[in-house]
Amino acid sequence: MPESILTVEGLKTYFFTEAGVVQAVDGISFNLRKGESLGLVGESGSGKTVSALSVLRIVPRPGKIIEGKIEFNGHNLLKKTEEEMRKIRGNEIAIIFQDPSSSLNPVYTIETQLKDVITAHQTQPREQAREKVMELLKLVGIPDPETRMMEYPHQFSGGMKQRVAIARALALEPKLLFADEPTTNLDVTIQAQVLGLLNDLKKKLGMSLVMISHDMGIIAEMTARIVVLYAGRVCEIARTNDLFEQPRHPYTAALLEAVPRLDMRKTLQVIPGNIPNLIEPPSGCRFHPRCEYSQDICAKKVPTLEQVGPDHFVACHMWQKITLKGERASHE
Amino acid sequence: MFTWTRESGSGRPRKMTSNNKEKASRRSASQWAVAWRRFKRNKPGVIGLTMVIILFLFPLFEFAFTQLGWIFPARPDPAAYTFFYEIPPKIRQPPSLENLFKQPFRFTGIFGTTSIGSDVLSDMIHAAKYTLYVGILVTAITMALSVAVGATAGFFGGWVDNVLMRIAEVFLVFPSLLLILVFVRIFTLTVGEPFWTIPPFNIQIPTGLTIVIVVVAIFNWGSNARMIRGEFLRIRELEFVEAERALGAGNGRIIFRHILPNVLSSVIVVSSLTIAYAILLEAAVSFLGFGDVNTITWGQILQENFGDARVVWWAEFFPGLAILFSVFAFNLLGDGLSDALNPRLRE
Repeated sequence: MPESILTVEGLKTYFFTEAGVVQAVDGISFNLRKGESLGLVGESGSGKTVSALSVLRIVPRPGKIIEGKIEFNGHNLLKKTEEEMRKIRGNEIAIIFQDPSSSLNPVYTIETQLKDVITAHQTQPREQAREKVMELLKLVGIPDPETRMMEYPHQFSGGMKQRVAIARALALEPKLLFADEPTTNLDVTIQAQVLGLLNDLKKKLGMSLVMISHDMGIIAEMTARIVVLYAGRVCEIARTNDLFEQPRHPYTAALLEAVPRLDMRKTLQVIPGNIPNLIEPPSGCRFHPRCEYSQDICAKKVPTLEQVGPDHFVACHMWQKITLKGERASHE
Repeated sequence: MFTWTRESGSGRPRKMTSNNKEKASRRSASQWAVAWRRFKRNKPGVIGLTMVIILFLFPLFEFAFTQLGWIFPARPDPAAYTFFYEIPPKIRQPPSLENLFKQPFRFTGIFGTTSIGSDVLSDMIHAAKYTLYVGILVTAITMALSVAVGATAGFFGGWVDNVLMRIAEVFLVFPSLLLILVFVRIFTLTVGEPFWTIPPFNIQIPTGLTIVIVVVAIFNWGSNARMIRGEFLRIRELEFVEAERALGAGNGRIIFRHILPNVLSSVIVVSSLTIAYAILLEAAVSFLGFGDVNTITWGQILQENFGDARVVWWAEFFPGLAILFSVFAFNLLGDGLSDALNPRLRE
């Protein structure tokens, strides 16, 4: 088994708001192997993005990492000074955000923005930086980079902006890339292009990739392993195929049922209720108020991650007693 | 319509096809180029800019006209009532154009003369530079203060924001004109030399007027600081700031390199409006008799002739018109700039 590049253990990130303490990430653990692509899946507010920001230690106020361990290449990132972290950001770990329309600074040309990143971290002469910018834009498939690099973000379409954002994230050849719903704001054809690009680049540069999405289709396409999050906790970790074939957690199964499919005439299954208020989360298993299999124990005891198969972990008290339909089965 | 241009590389003028034209316009589509194009279409804004340019030409006119003898030289000591341009002094002459048709040619008398025989037009032209001095220096100090405070408060938020904004509010709720008058009077009493001379070109800086400027600026940064704080709060939340942080940018870099340039358009708009307000405020301070008696400003002319206003109405009317002109100019310019730089605000 290849060694881990990133190990997150018992990560807790809370937001101290005026209304109370929001337990956005409450004891998440997962690991990422070198060169692997991992999916982080869950509804909005399940703690996907906050986990990624926690790894980079750029959780916005009033958020704070309370405890846990984030080991990257054998170093605990939570023990680093801010100065050391700044060298890691961009250089070792990079992130692509959701909204390409605002992810580039509107007052600078593409060239200036990319050059900035390159020259801020490495002492390179301007000439070489320019070459590098061109190379990067070519890499992410922007046609006519010599002309287009002199343009401003507002002259680019959404898909093109996202390509530039990807180029910027890759400028320093990071070893680990977080893609935080990189295609949510793009239309479907562009989505496919950008995902294809990410896949190619990952192979070409040998990066590890953490794909954050609520779209099971994208996740199935892009990742080898999936971590399912719910209300700031891990529900299930499994290889992508196993997860789709044999989900062990009722929430995972519900997520799979909620995926619309063109090839099946079937009413879409909705998960009843909403993601809970994380200031006063439900006791025990956080999914129990919405779970159709819930028993007394679910409200009392917090389930721990149990191994149910090779590379397959689930945090559910009931997993042995219930059989859940996988994606394929549920539609047949 | 065809435009002739020189394409780089070809070295030969070529007729622009629609395709080339599009490319050229694309390349120059920086925020500023776009804003300038939008500004040019805005009539009031262009008029305002023209008026401002005229105002800035006055110091040049002053120098040239004085050298040519078309206007009288500046009064060395306007407070002392001992100096007259013409002997015997022509006092209380109503506005007339007759000097334009006489030898030697002069502009004097067009706006009449005052009760002590000084020429209103000459005085007004000499005062124009101080109007600009007031407008620009007040705005420079105000904006420096408000950008520093607003940026710090907006970017760091939390208790820093709370403390700074409460301080700004203290300055906002004070009856500022009253306090300006009090402080100006206190500080002017301590003035020794009426002018500072700055060595290289022997530029004379009026001490009293500078005190007025500093006091006015200190009592005026509050509202601008709040505006800039708001802009910082808004831009701080945009994704590119988070993206820059994720790429390893520190606070200083984010503030100065990434947020500030985005706030610049608002700063420019507010600066223009602040200049207009400062000119008006200095005129008010001078008119009330708290200004710098050693410096002739438009407000000062108003003050000097106020007692005789019933007779020498022209000595009140024309300087008043000049103040109106400059305030109007900077307000129109500010409005035009705001339309050009922040079109969102108008939609």
